[in-house]
Amino acid sequence: MSVAARLYTELRGDRAIWAVLILLAIFSLLAVYSATGSLAYRSAGGNTETILLKHGIILAGGLFLTYLCHLLHYMKYSRTAPILLLLSVPLLVYTIAYGADINEAKRWIMLPYVGITFQTSDFAKLALIIYVARAISSKQDYIKDFNSAFLPIIVPVLIICGLIAPADLSTAVLLFFTCLIMMFVGRVAIQYITLLVLLGIVVFAILIILGRFYPEFVRVDTWVSRMNDFLNNPDGGYQVVQSKIAIANGEWFGVGPGNSIQRNYLPSPFADFIYAIICEEFGIVGGFAVISLYVLFFFRVARLVTKSPKAFGAMLAMGLSVMLLIQAFTNIAVSVHLVPVTGIALPLISKGGTSVLFTCISFGIILSVSKYIESIGD
Amino acid sequence: MDVKNEVLYRVYFLVFALVVPISMLLFYKTVQISIIDGDKWREDGKKAYIRERPIEAERGNIMAADGSLLATSVPYFDIFFDPFASSEDDYYKNLDTLAYCLATFVDDSYTVGGYREYLYDLRDTLINRKRHIPIKRKVSYSEKREIEKFPLFNLGQYRGGFIAVKRSERKRPFGVLARRTIGYVREEAQDIGLEGTFDDILGGSPGSEFAMPVDMIQVDKSQDLWMPLEDLASIEPKSGDDILTTLDINIQDISERALMRAVRHHDAEWGTAIVMEVKTGKIRAIANLGKVEDREEWYEIYNYAIGTGIEPGSTFKLASIMALLEDGYITLEDSIDIENGRTTFYEDVMEDASPYSFKLDTITVRKAFEISSNVGIAKLVDKYYGTPSKINENKGAAKFIERLKGFNLNLPTDVKIQGEEMPFIKEAYSSEDQWSGITLPWMSTGYEMKLTPLQLLTFYNAVANNGVMMKPMLVEQVQRFGEPLEIYRPTVVKKELASKKTLEQAQQLLRGVVERGTAQKLYTERFSFAGKTGTAQVDYKRLASGTRVGGYQASFVGYFPAEDPLYSCTVVIYKPRRNGFYGGDVAGPVFKEIAEKCYESILELHEPINAGPRPMLGERSLPVGSIGYKEDMKQVLEFLNLSWYGDPETELTALTASADSLTLNRRTVSDETIPNVVGMGLRDALFLLENKGLKVDVEGVGKVIRQSHRPGTPLKGQTLILTLN
Repeated sequence: MSVAARLYTELRGDRAIWAVLILLAIFSLLAVYSATGSLAYRSAGGNTETILLKHGIILAGGLFLTYLCHLLHYMKYSRTAPILLLLSVPLLVYTIAYGADINEAKRWIMLPYVGITFQTSDFAKLALIIYVARAISSKQDYIKDFNSAFLPIIVPVLIICGLIAPADLSTAVLLFFTCLIMMFVGRVAIQYITLLVLLGIVVFAILIILGRFYPEFVRVDTWVSRMNDFLNNPDGGYQVVQSKIAIANGEWFGVGPGNSIQRNYLPSPFADFIYAIICEEFGIVGGFAVISLYVLFFFRVARLVTKSPKAFGAMLAMGLSVMLLIQAFTNIAVSVHLVPVTGIALPLISKGGTSVLFTCISFGIILSVSKYIESIGD
Repeated sequence: MDVKNEVLYRVYFLVFALVVPISMLLFYKTVQISIIDGDKWREDGKKAYIRERPIEAERGNIMAADGSLLATSVPYFDIFFDPFASSEDDYYKNLDTLAYCLATFVDDSYTVGGYREYLYDLRDTLINRKRHIPIKRKVSYSEKREIEKFPLFNLGQYRGGFIAVKRSERKRPFGVLARRTIGYVREEAQDIGLEGTFDDILGGSPGSEFAMPVDMIQVDKSQDLWMPLEDLASIEPKSGDDILTTLDINIQDISERALMRAVRHHDAEWGTAIVMEVKTGKIRAIANLGKVEDREEWYEIYNYAIGTGIEPGSTFKLASIMALLEDGYITLEDSIDIENGRTTFYEDVMEDASPYSFKLDTITVRKAFEISSNVGIAKLVDKYYGTPSKINENKGAAKFIERLKGFNLNLPTDVKIQGEEMPFIKEAYSSEDQWSGITLPWMSTGYEMKLTPLQLLTFYNAVANNGVMMKPMLVEQVQRFGEPLEIYRPTVVKKELASKKTLEQAQQLLRGVVERGTAQKLYTERFSFAGKTGTAQVDYKRLASGTRVGGYQASFVGYFPAEDPLYSCTVVIYKPRRNGFYGGDVAGPVFKEIAEKCYESILELHEPINAGPRPMLGERSLPVGSIGYKEDMKQVLEFLNLSWYGDPETELTALTASADSLTLNRRTVSDETIPNVVGMGLRDALFLLENKGLKVDVEGVGKVIRQSHRPGTPLKGQTLILTLN
């Protein structure tokens, strides 16, 4: 049996999703390879090969994790959801209090003994989405009810998002938004969702005011300056201008892998602005391919939902894919100057250990769902 | 609506109302940035962060006529260090050795340990990371090559943090020699001298390259660290071309020394000396020394030779008398009453400067010129040009001025260096030029006008050159890589300054000044020269009772040798405050010294001593007792065309003469005793004695005439005293 055939039998679930996953990983390797070739990175004392190797290992580990996760029956995740959620609360609190300061935001905690920094919000995100999916699917019979259905779903969402928000507002907002979409798909009454949107706006306003008085907890300065940049500067701030220059340099077919010039001017070209680097090196064609991969991925997950609309699995897959899609769109929207600058990574493509690993876990769960839904459908 | 359909509709809504439109929007935005507005962004990218930076061109050299460097650009380096360029591993691994190398070879104000700590702290910091640490400034190329080899530094700029910024410095290998004429180019200052005049040629054209900042993030932005982008077009700088001047290092040195001695001796305000080649107008030396206020020091602070118009005084009389001769009004043997050196024109008194004129009344024109009688010359000029009459075609003074213009005295020399002052010769009867009744007599003696020393020298040079006036030239060639790019030829300004007869008479007069006149003190038999002294009043006020004088200006203009002139030369010494003020006493000796030393150093001026017929040999005229190496002896005798006898097999030979023949005799030297070195040249004696382990002290110059230890004394490492004569 050839390796390809062997792989084919090993990799269960939607093979289109597998294909998307592997293509994204390849893009990631190419883009990170290029970004680490930047002068800034080299002169900062880095060793390009090591960084690339490390990223490759993380990607491989992530893919292996995907493989492992897709072997597990997704119902197993359902059972662990409340525990994970409960666990994430103290983790988030601890992060706010004692987390490592990286780029002036407390988003990471240092894992004891291992010495790896770990972004707790990634963990909380996953836990919350599994929980919400479970709640929605289990309350389908009385889902339009406020007290018995809406409240139990929304309270944990508010708590978790509220805990993430001080250090990482954009992730909190995106997570909140993901949960809203899950509830929307899960037949929660439209009026409650509208109410939530309004509530979200109020909370956002309160946070801004809070940040004025307790700047050490809330990074309000950063938001304000980014907002100002976005609203008052038609060309965007320094980063956005650099990003646009990168995209423009690429034209239709790009300058070729490893030839980016703008990687030297873009801050974190391998994370927040990796889309611009892809556009510079692979052109609009490359950018289109990336957008298409995410959209294709979402279509395949939506197909699962249409196949088994009520199931926890479908809702879980929907939630996770929405989360990834929103992240991807936000990241790209930042690069093309549609939204203010946020620190959202491009799922799976951006360099960054925790983000890649949790994205891979998400993929694994989705594939697990698809594996069982496909088998039911057959 | 059933549950399943509700979910489906909501999913469809999600896909078609949100996901598809948003993805389309993102795609559209990408196209908009990349294609629709693409040109603007690409342009912005180049403009803002890739800068065109100039690459400085190497400045050309200024050379003396023999090619020696008068001014050249020497590169040097400023060394910096970026402690964050290297990997942590490399940094700490090499820290100790690097600290040792730096503390030992570069900066000994630190101890090795101190340096190590310093380097350690540079890297071991999170805040205020400095990436541009000065290590040493003004490091030569070879020194830089050494520092480059230090551990860590040998990894280069991007992996080791070694940064060498190339700069260059203008050096003058001959120091202050002709400093003002070589000049300089400085920012925010007037460009001076040849450097300024030929700035375009010397400077070349800077190139340019596209470069970008080496580091964009977390870097000390105040420091400019740029990295050239190799794949973008760059323009190589074009090195400046070299200027080959006409200056002769030796003559320049001779002139400067002679002038320096004079300005010191006479405590002059300033002095200048120019030496010009008669046939070509090439300026071989140009020295300018001005006194620094309140100090007994003189420097090249201004180019007086070219930039200062002065009233020449008596040296101008040559032009006056040549005008008279050319118009045929006088002969040199005509008489003129000089009235004991004192007369009046209108109300104003004119006096002769030199004491020769006292007690003299009627003398020849020649004599009047030789003793530099103001009265004589002024009366002659006044007589023939003073009033418009039939003699001067009713032109009066205009005819005189016409003559001066005919001598090109109203025109600048246009020598190729900036800052030449225009000559000023008054137009006849011009109220604008403040022409008055006494202007003409005073003009005839070199007042009421302005000429630079070089302008007057150009005129004298033409007289020396039998009437062919040459344009003074300072630059011979523009060279690129040692090959001539542009050659400036000697330029004839005027083919015939005056008639042959006038010129011959002018030359006679100038010789007479030296032989019999105001410069007769300078006369020597060793070589001939001709010229004219000048003792001009400066800062004077003309009063009815006479002239109140603020000081004098001593000058001498002339050429040498008198018969077939090679060089013309002028010396002007302004306001000598002690030890005399007459041109013949103050400027004349400088001229003579320059002329004499030039004369001695010019081989062509001396007849070869072996050129004539074979000399008659007589015992008395023959060198006797000379001892030297056989081969040396033979060479000298052959050169002198002398025949000799004997060919001893010893290394040393002694020359003996008998009657009319010379013989080379054998001369042996014992190994154990002090040899006899009497009669030897010092070189041979030293070689011989010091090879035997003796110490030698020397007194006097010439050949050895006495030695302190007798020949034959056993060797004991004594100190021998040789007396030379």
